[in-house]
Amino acid sequence: MARIAVTALGVDRPGMVAAVTGVLMEHGGNLEDSAMTILGGHFAMMLVVQIPDGQRPTDLEAALAVGVAHLGLTVAVRPVAGPPGDTGAGEGTDEGEAESGATWSVSVHGADRPGIVHRVTATLAEHGANVVDLTTRVIGRPEQPAYVLLVRFTLGTATDESALAAELQELAGQLGVEIHARPDDADIL
Amino acid sequence: MIRSVLVLPDPVLARPCQPVGVIDADARALAVDLVDTMRASAHSVGVAAPQIGVSRRAFCLDVTGHPKARSCHGEVVLLDPELVEPPGGGPRPVGREGCMSVPDLTGDVARWPVIVVRGTTPDGHQRELEMDAFEARAAQHELDHLDGLLFLDRLVATDRVFPRRVYR
Repeated sequence: MARIAVTALGVDRPGMVAAVTGVLMEHGGNLEDSAMTILGGHFAMMLVVQIPDGQRPTDLEAALAVGVAHLGLTVAVRPVAGPPGDTGAGEGTDEGEAESGATWSVSVHGADRPGIVHRVTATLAEHGANVVDLTTRVIGRPEQPAYVLLVRFTLGTATDESALAAELQELAGQLGVEIHARPDDADIL
Repeated sequence: MIRSVLVLPDPVLARPCQPVGVIDADARALAVDLVDTMRASAHSVGVAAPQIGVSRRAFCLDVTGHPKARSCHGEVVLLDPELVEPPGGGPRPVGREGCMSVPDLTGDVARWPVIVVRGTTPDGHQRELEMDAFEARAAQHELDHLDGLLFLDRLVATDRVFPRRVYR
């Protein structure tokens, strides 16, 4: 069995998930992990699908394109290596840096201005951290919008936590935003 | 006096507050303003001083009539409040919180289910209150404001923010 990642993007309207998953089902696909969101009236979805031996990803991509054409969706299919839940951070990683497993969350908020997401995520990358989840929102009055950035990331084995925390605080001053970083704490029951 | 409520990105909201100290006329006026501002907003159950632009450790709350309240001390105004450690009650339940200072969003936050809060009332008395359920959640939310923290800084996960319907 092989695995593929399917992505779909288009102006939101009813029927998109049904259309994409219908084509996948017709081609013997088994849906595993997925995520979807609607931002600014646009629909975006990502699915990891197990496909039968002999099913070529390129053929499936062509079938999807036909199947969703009436909805104005753009679809793409790419092969994925590894078993379910594999982050793919094995041999494919450029830096080959293994994750330490420690997960942190960071909340950033302040006056909206260009560069917040890039500067924060670049700082994380420089310290070997890997972003696993990210949400941003613009809120408040149009005359003075506030930007909210929430990032969840895993530390690399070589990440110096206090150096990263210090650099994030310095970045907060430069950007004129508040940055609060803390380890994730889950009660494992 | 009803005061305007500051909203993000006002920097006062992020500033840890100074103690009130001596309960003087200014402190009592602050207490009145906090309550007046809370009463002026139909859905508010609490207001912290930084939300009305005052960087002092003071808040008010009133969970009377809230369906999720168990303990209820009615109108509570505390100056220089502090959490009596350790909070108890086991694992922290998650609830969805909003805030007048964070428009357009709500988010899921874990809070201690049972707390004891100690502080000074506007007439100068020491008070110690045991709170649980929604009242405990509200008090912790207000205490966070006094440390310059918003519910956005306490979310259980980055994807646990939601759009908020604005009540007009």
